[in-house]
Amino acid sequence: MYSQSIVLPLIACAIGALAAGLLTVLPVGRRVSTPLLGWLLAIAPLVAFVLLLVESPNVLAGQTLIWSLDWMPTLGVQATLRLDGLSVLFGLLVSGIGVLVVTYAGYYFKANSAHPAQGDSSDFSAHSDARFFFYILLFMMSMLGLVLAGDVITLFVFWEGTSITSFLLVAYKSKDEAARRGAFRALFITGGGGVALLAGLVFVAALSGSTQFDVILRSGDLLRASELYPVMLALIALGALTKSAQAPAHFWLPGAMSAPAPASAYLHSATMVKAGVYLLARVNPALGQTDLWFWLFSLIGGATMLIGAFVGFKQHDLKALLAYSTVSQLGVLVMLIGQDTEIAFKALVVSILAHALYKSALFLVTGIIDHEAGTRDLRELGGLRRAMPFTFAVALIAGLSMAGLPPLFGFLAKETLLATATHPAVPPIVEVIFPAAAVIAGALVLAQAGLVVLDGFLGQSRSDLHPHEAPWPMWLAPAIPALASLAVGVLPEPEGLATLLAAAATAAWGDKVKVSLALWTGINVPLLLSIVAVSLGVALLAVRQRVRPALDHIAGRLSLGVLYEGALRLIDGMAWLVTRVQSGRLRLYLAIMLISLGAMLIGIGRLALPPLALSVTLLPDAQSLLRIIALVVVTLAALVSVFLRSDLFAILALGVSGLSIAVLMILEPAPDIALVQVVVETLTLVVLVLVLTRLPREQRARAAEFTYRQSRPGLLRDVLIALGSGAVMFAIVSTALLSRPRESQITPFFEQNAKPLTAANDIVGAIVIDFRGFDTLVEIAVFAAAGLSVYTLLRYASRKAGDRDEPAPQPDPTMLPFRGIGNPRSSALVRLVARLILPFSFVLAASHILLGHDRPGDGFTAGVIVSLAVATWYVVYGYEETKCRLPWLRPAALIAAGLGLALLSATLAALINGTFFSPVDFGKLIGVSRWLPAGVYFSTATLYELAIALTVVGSAVLMLDTLGHPRDTDRETEQQMSEIAALREQGVVTLPEETKT
Amino acid sequence: MIELFTALAISALFAIGVFQLLRRNLIRSAMGVAIVSNAINLFLLASGAYRGEVAAYANLAGQTARQPSDALPQALILTAIVIGMGAFAVVLALVYVLSLRYKTSDSDEVKGLRH
Repeated sequence: MYSQSIVLPLIACAIGALAAGLLTVLPVGRRVSTPLLGWLLAIAPLVAFVLLLVESPNVLAGQTLIWSLDWMPTLGVQATLRLDGLSVLFGLLVSGIGVLVVTYAGYYFKANSAHPAQGDSSDFSAHSDARFFFYILLFMMSMLGLVLAGDVITLFVFWEGTSITSFLLVAYKSKDEAARRGAFRALFITGGGGVALLAGLVFVAALSGSTQFDVILRSGDLLRASELYPVMLALIALGALTKSAQAPAHFWLPGAMSAPAPASAYLHSATMVKAGVYLLARVNPALGQTDLWFWLFSLIGGATMLIGAFVGFKQHDLKALLAYSTVSQLGVLVMLIGQDTEIAFKALVVSILAHALYKSALFLVTGIIDHEAGTRDLRELGGLRRAMPFTFAVALIAGLSMAGLPPLFGFLAKETLLATATHPAVPPIVEVIFPAAAVIAGALVLAQAGLVVLDGFLGQSRSDLHPHEAPWPMWLAPAIPALASLAVGVLPEPEGLATLLAAAATAAWGDKVKVSLALWTGINVPLLLSIVAVSLGVALLAVRQRVRPALDHIAGRLSLGVLYEGALRLIDGMAWLVTRVQSGRLRLYLAIMLISLGAMLIGIGRLALPPLALSVTLLPDAQSLLRIIALVVVTLAALVSVFLRSDLFAILALGVSGLSIAVLMILEPAPDIALVQVVVETLTLVVLVLVLTRLPREQRARAAEFTYRQSRPGLLRDVLIALGSGAVMFAIVSTALLSRPRESQITPFFEQNAKPLTAANDIVGAIVIDFRGFDTLVEIAVFAAAGLSVYTLLRYASRKAGDRDEPAPQPDPTMLPFRGIGNPRSSALVRLVARLILPFSFVLAASHILLGHDRPGDGFTAGVIVSLAVATWYVVYGYEETKCRLPWLRPAALIAAGLGLALLSATLAALINGTFFSPVDFGKLIGVSRWLPAGVYFSTATLYELAIALTVVGSAVLMLDTLGHPRDTDRETEQQMSEIAALREQGVVTLPEETKT
Repeated sequence: MIELFTALAISALFAIGVFQLLRRNLIRSAMGVAIVSNAINLFLLASGAYRGEVAAYANLAGQTARQPSDALPQALILTAIVIGMGAFAVVLALVYVLSLRYKTSDSDEVKGLRH
């Protein structure tokens, strides 16, 4: 059934996250006290919780609610939310525990700032706490989206969201190295699993023909029959098992315990680590019920259960103990999913709920202990019950539930687990092993729970501790889930909860599951096994003082942790090895790259010379002759630039070559690009000469000396590489030119539609501005980025690295005209001409912008023309004076204005036409076009051309500024400029140029 | 015939550019970048499908019924020229920064990058 309202819980969390994010950056966030912040922000999950409750009756009645949005229709991807029993169960857990955790966190962080020297709190500053709420609400949103997702793509997006936000939460105490390491490891593992998951989900979607879970869940037979089934299953399992901390990848979870306690309670017990379990339960109807499924998850889950229970028992740190018991419990859940029996899915949902209730309570209690007693090491704790009676009561109830003792909910979870393990459907090979493993794990987990209560709260009070009770909301938060696990056991069977669990189990199993929450089912095998487990556990507890030290000696490295460290070391080693191979000689790299590329093209690309039919016409026609001449000039000029020893002359030869290309463009005939080529070539030369003047003369002389004294073998090698590259290039170009079709597939479309669609006569302009407007936006963005890079390189990075610019060398008489930017003084006539050039360039630029759509020329040309005029000013007036005289010349502002205008014009078009970057003739719209001269329009194209011109001017001037005057920072310049201006106004100082005359 | 000539010129230009790129003198290497990008632009230009007689303008083509030049590669070249100019400026800035940091314009003396 379609339902709009299931998106609302997600929106509630998003608003909460947004509010927290704003409070992080706004000054008002500093004035709200942390507890109040917690209370306020807890409203978001509370609303989500209530909304889900309101939706749930429909779902419990057997309906599946769907909400969807066209996301990428061309790829057949819809963003879908889907609410069924499983989603409701998880959604309620996520939002419900979310309320408690957020409220608790308010007091937790307040306590933190109150005891700055203790435990967790070492690196906190009071006002960073809004940041925590921001992260945790973002996480909550991702987690809620994950369990509500109705298609694999949405699921994956939110899945990654939980990985990233949990990284932020684990690394919350970012000054703590252990926290950073733990966070990185968690991200590394769950992120890697995420990549595998994506691949698996794509397989599933491709095979079932849809990304929607509705379709996927119905195509189970198809998927299971596919020969890709093992691959799919392995990839998805990799994602799910890493996320749910299954052996052997479980080691990230204890490492992630460096997160603040509320985050640990939330992410690492109740929600995120269950995402993998959720995913497996979700896809079980489609991928489950095979032998592979059974063995994969039973074995991994069983192993994880035992490892977690065993390693957890020897921990001294309360949080680590709980982390390992969580690992153990996650193993139980995965193992249950592997069994395809009704009772297994009953056990699954009961265990999920029971574990979420008692484990989140215990984690929150640990946070309280840490704060109020100052440590969470069991060896230093004891007798807390007197100082912290309420916390003790909470811990006792939650601990009893964890131990699996009646009358608590945890008892039911353990009973159903044992019932599953002894179910007749279990294959005979493992029918003893499963129950035995469950009993051992049960005993160890009971002992773990006992450790928390006995060693933490009972026993002797320690004189060196001064514990006190936490503020009431702090113990109330864990009390609620703890009491809930008591209530489910003691109160008469709650009908609604049983229905909810049944609905969840039904969704996961794919068939009807009955759930009854009665604790007492008579004397049967599970109960007997349970008694064995309890006795074993109690016995373990009794001898714990002797057993635990002994366990310390047994190496606890039953994990991939070693492998992970090894992999990181291997990467480091490889990096070291690679840097050994590097000679550091850039030319050598280049040569190797070129040779390999050529070899690849010839070897793999089967590149060969085309059959060359030399149809020598005796007399080529006039145009061809012109072209040949131009080509010869292009090539010869470039060749000459190689042999000219003076850099300046070489640059000029290069200019000749570039300008001859413009001639070829005119012969094409392609007037638009010929114009651009001419102006850009000129600007290139200016920039090149600028840099040349910046390089010390003796440096250049030395480099030239080396270049010309190159040894013969070296020279021969370079010539051979160059000739080889030329030959490869010749093969490519001649193949392309001699065998190309003489008609185009695409061009006719542009030719026919340029005028009707964009009102442009200039087809090239129409392509650049309208048809491929987005490309052009990227292009000017790249050009702007180039300008900014030059700026960053020379002003910022250079200064950081402590580069010193030598004082300007003595004027070099051979290149006096370009001596630059500053000195010496130009003649009055030159200054006058320069002054006239600028307005003239404006007129030219304006005509290019206005007529660009009708005649040759465009925004680029306009921009470069203005930049060249500015360059003339720099040469003639010098940098300082130009800056004084042209106050509008602010490159960064120009770039911003240009890019902003381009987006504005495109957005206007989107508002009017519905398509970004579509042509709109504003003149026609508002009825002024008839007053405009022929060929001039007032349209998006005009705005866009102007935007391009502004960006190009900004970026080019930025390049000229920084390359021509690289020594000072912008702020210094501005300061100097304003000082100079002030002094000039007072007549105290005249500009250096003016004094010289 | 003209195609063959164009192909020869483009590959010669490319070879010259590569040779320049391989110089020790960083300024010459930078010039090599410019030459190579010129060669590529020329290749794009030559790859136009039509033997153009008039420029690619909607009104010209309609009036004279003569073959306009291919507009598509021209639009590509327009972009390539501008981007090439930007990239070239960054290359030059790098040359300058290298000269500041290593006090040399000789690429073989710039070895500190490996650490």
